[in-house]
Amino acid sequence: MSKVILEVNNLMTKYITRYKENVYAVNDVSFKLEEGRSVGIAGESGCGKSTLALSLMGYYFPPLHYTSGEIIIDGRKITDMKPDDVRKQVLGTEIAYIPQAAMNALNPTRKVIKFIEDVIRVHDPKATKKDIYDLAQQRFELLNLPKEALHKYSVELSGGMKQRTVIAVSTILSPKVLIADEPSSALDVTSQKMVIKMINDLMDLGIIKSMIFITHELPLLYNVTDDIMVMYAAQLVETGTADQMIFDPLHPYSKGLMGSILVPEDGTREAKITAIPGTPPNLKKPPEGCRFAERCKYASPQCKVLNVEVSHLDNNRKCRCLLSEKELREVYKDE
Amino acid sequence: MKNQIKQLLKSGKFMVGFIVFMSILLFITIYPFFVPGNPLQMIGYNSFIPPGTYLSLYDAVNPNVFVYTLRIPGAAEARIVNTLPMSDREAMRDWLVRAGMPEAAIDIYDPETLLALWNANYDPDERIEGMILADHRAYQRLNNRIQGMFDASALRLYSADPETGEPQFQAPITDTDYIALSDIVNIRRLPLGTDNFGRDMLKQLVQAIGVSLRIGLIAGSIATAIGLLLGLVAGYVGGWVDEIIMFICNLLTVIPGFVLLVLLAFSIGPAGRSVTIVGIVIGLTTWVWTTRAVRSQVLSLRNRDHVNLSKLSGHSLPRIVFKDILPYIASYVVMAFILQVSGAILAEAGLSMLGLGPSTTEVATLGLMMNWAMSFSAHIMGAWWAYFPVVFVIALISFSLNLMNTGMDQIFNPQLRD
Amino acid sequence: MSEPVKNPDDKIPDDFQAPKNSGDSDNPNDESDISTSSWERFRRNGYTRYYTKRTIWFLVTLVAAAILNFILPRLMPGDPLAAIMQRVAVGLHDAEQVRAIYYHYLQLFGLDRPVIEQFFIYFGNLFRGDLGLSFSRFPRPVSDIISNAVPWTIGLQLPAILTGWIIGNFLGAIAAYRRRIFDKIVMPASLFVSGIPAFGLAVILLAVFALNLGWFPVTGGYEIGLIPHFSWRFISSIIEHYHLPFWSIVLISIGGQALGMRSMSIYELNADYVRYSRFMGIKDSKIVRYVFRNAMLPQVTGLALSLGTMMGGAIVAEIIFSYPGLGTALLQAVREGDYPLVSGITLVITVMVLASVFLLEIIYGLIDPRVKTTQYE
Repeated sequence: MSKVILEVNNLMTKYITRYKENVYAVNDVSFKLEEGRSVGIAGESGCGKSTLALSLMGYYFPPLHYTSGEIIIDGRKITDMKPDDVRKQVLGTEIAYIPQAAMNALNPTRKVIKFIEDVIRVHDPKATKKDIYDLAQQRFELLNLPKEALHKYSVELSGGMKQRTVIAVSTILSPKVLIADEPSSALDVTSQKMVIKMINDLMDLGIIKSMIFITHELPLLYNVTDDIMVMYAAQLVETGTADQMIFDPLHPYSKGLMGSILVPEDGTREAKITAIPGTPPNLKKPPEGCRFAERCKYASPQCKVLNVEVSHLDNNRKCRCLLSEKELREVYKDE
Repeated sequence: MKNQIKQLLKSGKFMVGFIVFMSILLFITIYPFFVPGNPLQMIGYNSFIPPGTYLSLYDAVNPNVFVYTLRIPGAAEARIVNTLPMSDREAMRDWLVRAGMPEAAIDIYDPETLLALWNANYDPDERIEGMILADHRAYQRLNNRIQGMFDASALRLYSADPETGEPQFQAPITDTDYIALSDIVNIRRLPLGTDNFGRDMLKQLVQAIGVSLRIGLIAGSIATAIGLLLGLVAGYVGGWVDEIIMFICNLLTVIPGFVLLVLLAFSIGPAGRSVTIVGIVIGLTTWVWTTRAVRSQVLSLRNRDHVNLSKLSGHSLPRIVFKDILPYIASYVVMAFILQVSGAILAEAGLSMLGLGPSTTEVATLGLMMNWAMSFSAHIMGAWWAYFPVVFVIALISFSLNLMNTGMDQIFNPQLRD
Repeated sequence: MSEPVKNPDDKIPDDFQAPKNSGDSDNPNDESDISTSSWERFRRNGYTRYYTKRTIWFLVTLVAAAILNFILPRLMPGDPLAAIMQRVAVGLHDAEQVRAIYYHYLQLFGLDRPVIEQFFIYFGNLFRGDLGLSFSRFPRPVSDIISNAVPWTIGLQLPAILTGWIIGNFLGAIAAYRRRIFDKIVMPASLFVSGIPAFGLAVILLAVFALNLGWFPVTGGYEIGLIPHFSWRFISSIIEHYHLPFWSIVLISIGGQALGMRSMSIYELNADYVRYSRFMGIKDSKIVRYVFRNAMLPQVTGLALSLGTMMGGAIVAEIIFSYPGLGTALLQAVREGDYPLVSGITLVITVMVLASVFLLEIIYGLIDPRVKTTQYE
C-alpha cells in the first residue's frame, strides 16, 4: 500500500445564502487518496460535487463556509491552518484546481507569463524573472503549447489553448493533488481527449502526484481514473474502483446512475437505459434518514427514518445503504 | 408577467422609488384643491417674500376683532429681544468692554443675556475714563431707549374721518392685548414664499411639476415609439435596413443630444416653442438608447424556437411581433421609458436655463422657474426658496425614477443580482 | 493600477508574430506568413484595423455633424434671412449697417442659389474657419468670439470631468468591494446626486460657498477690471474663480461614474478568473487590482458615451457663474437671437465632444488587449 496523499474525514461545508439560510452542500464526506492514484467523482448536477472540489482546497470564502471535519494533505492537517497560511503554503503547491469554466479562468487583461509570475511569487517571493520564465517555458513545451502563448493575453488564445494554458498554470508548482472540475465539458471530443491525456501525462511524469476528476460523464471516468466515488445530495453514497463501479454498482443510486448510461463493453451493451424517477432532495431541508429513500425502489419504511452510515465492504469498497452487500445482491437478483 | 410584478413589489429599490414618485403625483393632484387659484397670479408686491405665514395687519387692528388680555411672563423681554437692533447690541458690547468686561464673555447674538449683563452693569452716572462726553450721552440715550421698551405705554389706533380727514381715536393697544388667529379672515400661508414677481412659489412649483412631467411623458412616449419601431425593424428585418438604422444610431450616440436640442429649439424660434413642442423636440433627440436595447433583444429573440415555430405556423408579421416578440422586450422598453422621462425633465430644465425652454407665460415648468429665479438673481438676493425647492424637486423626481429603473434592472437582468 | 499602460512599440512587433506550432486553426494570426509584405502584416494587425476604423468613423461623424448643423435651421419654415434681418434690425438703427449685414449674409449663405450650392459654400467657409459675423456683436467674427471662449470651457471642463471620473470610479470600486458598509450610502447618494442637474448644484454651491461663507468669488472667470495677461495676480484670480465651477462639475460627474463602476466591479468580482486566482493563492489585494483594472476599461468607453451629456450639463452650469466660456456665450447668443453665433457654438461643442471621444477610443485601444482580437470577428 502506497503513501496516502490526501485524507478527508467527515468534511462538512455549507453555503450561506443571501437569505441567511444554511445549505450543506458537502455533508460527512470521508475518503483517502493514495499517491499515484486518481479518483473520479460522479453525480447529477447540483449534488455538490463541484462544491466538494472547492471545499477540498481548504481555503474558504463567502458564500462557502467550513463547518467541520478535517483535510490532511501529506500528513499536514490544513483544516487547522490559518487561511493566509493555507493560501501561501497549500494552494498551488499542495493542492491545485482546474476550474469548470477554464475558458474564463484567466484574467483577460494580464499576460499569461505575468499571471504565472504572480502565482509563483506567492510561494517564492524571491524567484527571479528568468527562473520563472524558464520553468513556464519548460512546462509549456511539455504540454505542447507554443512559448509565444506566454506573452499573450488570454483573449488572444483559442479555446483549446486556453484550456491547456490553465492546466499548465495550475500545475506550475507541481501540486501533490490536482482537482479537475469538469475541465473538458465545454470542449469538443478531440480537445477533451487531449486534456485528459495531458493530465495523465502530468501524473506519469510525476509533476502531480494524484488527481481528483469531477464529471457527470461516467464513461469518461472509466477511461481516466482508478477509482470512482458517487455523490448524491451532498453525501458520498458509494466508493470503489472504476471497474467495480461501472460493472458492479452496489448502491441503488449508483446502479440507477450507471443504468442511465451506455458503456460499450460486453455485458452492459444490452442493459436497458433506465432513468431514476423523482428529483434530488432540496439541500436546504434534507430529508430524515437515507437521502435517496424517496426515489429508491428498494426502500423500506425504515430507510426514511434511520440515519444511514457508510459501511466498509471488502475490496476497499464503501457504500451508504441500510441493506448489506448480500441483501443488495439478493434484491438485484430478483429482477 | 404576474410573477415579475410580484418580484417588483418585493424589490426594495423599486418600491422606494415608486412610493416617492407616487407621493409627488398625489401631492400635486391634491394640493390645488386645498389652495385653489391661478398659480401664476402675482399676489405679492414685494419681490422674493420669504416663506412664512402672513396675516393681514388691517384685519388685526380692526376694532371689531375681540381683544383678549393675556399676561404672559417674559413677553416684554421677548419683544425687546426681537426688536433690539444689531447696532444697539454692538454699542452695548462696546460699553461693557470699555467698562472692563472681557470681550469673549459677551455674545451679541444672545440678546437675553446681553440685556441682563447690561442691566446689571450699566450705571448712567458712571463716566468711564477717557470717554468723550458725546459718547457718554449717547450711551445714556441708548439706555433710556432700552428701558423705554419695558414701558407698557399703549399705542393708539386712529382712523381718518371719512368727511373731515381728522384722525379719530379708535382704540388703545397695550402690550397685553391679544387676538385669536381664527378671528382674522385674511391669513396667507406661503410655505415657500414668493418669487420675484410675487407669485406663490409652492403653487407654482406644484403646477410646474405637473407640466414638467407632461413634457417628460410626451418626450418619453415619442422617444419610446420611435425607438421601439426602429429597433424592431432593425432587429427583425436586418440587412441594409439594420445597417442604416445602426449608422444613424451610432451617429446620434456621439453627436451630443444637447447640441441637437439647442439647434432644434433655437431654429423653431420662441413663437413655436410651446410646452408640447418642447416635449416633442426632446423626444426626437433621445430615442437612440431605446432603439439599441430593442434591437439587441429582437436579434436574440429572432431565432428562438417559439418565434421560429410561429413563423413556420404561418402567423402574420404583426402577430409574431405582438405575440412572440413584444412581451419579451416589454420590460426593457418600460425601463428605457422611465429613464427617458427623467432625462427629458432634466433636458427641459437645461434648455430653459439657456432661454430655449417653452416660451409661455401661461404655465410654469421646473426649468422656467429656475430660469426666472436666475434671471432675477435669486441666489444673489439670498432668496433660496426661489431656486432650492426647484432643484430639490428635479433631483427627487429623477432619483425616484432612477431608483425604479435600477430596481427593475436587477429583476429583469438576473446577472446583475448580487 | 497594477500594470501601467504598455508602450505600443513593445507590443505590436512581437505580438503579431504568429506562433508557428500552435496548431490552432482558429487563431487568425496563423495566417500571417513570413513572405507577406510588411504592409500586408501592418494592415492585418488588429491595432491598425482598430485605429483605421476609429479614424474613418471620426471623420464621418464630423461631416455628419456639419451637415446637421447646416440642415436643421433650414428645415424650419420661412425665409431664414428675413428672420435674421428682423432680429438684426431690432438692435441696429444705422441703415447702412443693416444693409451691410444683409449683403454679407446673402453672400455667406448664398441663399439665392440652389441648396446644393449653398451646402458647398457653407463647407468651404467652414474649412477656412469662417463661421460668419455675429449679429449681437457686429462686426466681430463668430470664430473670434468662440476662440476666446473655448480655452475657458476646455480648461474648466476637461480637468473637472476627468477628476469626477477618477473620484467616481474610486468610490464605485469601494462600494463594490465593501458592499455592506459603503453600498448602503454611496449607492443611493450617487443616484440622488446624479439626478441633480449640474446648474442646480452650481447654484447651491454658489449660494453656500460664495454668498454665505464668502470663500470664493461669485461670478466670472477672473476679477472684473483685470486685463487678461500673464501675471501672478491674474493667475491667482483665475484659480480663485475656478474652484466653484470646477467642483460643481466634479460633483455631478461623480454620481453616474460611481454607479457604473460599482456594477462593473460587482460583475468582475463574480468573474471566473477571480475565483481561479484565489485558488492559485493570489492574495486578495492583488486580485482587487486585477478586478478594478478590468472594471475601469469599460468605464473609459462609458466616459466616451456620457461625455456629450456631461458637457451639455457643464456648459449650462457655466452660466450660473457667468464663466467666460461657451455656455455664457451661448446664453447671450440665444437671448439676442444671434443665429451665426448659436450655430457656431453648437458646431464647436460637437467637434470638441467628437474629438474627446476619438481620443478616448485611441487610449482605450492602447490599454485593453481585447480590442486587438475583437477586430477579427
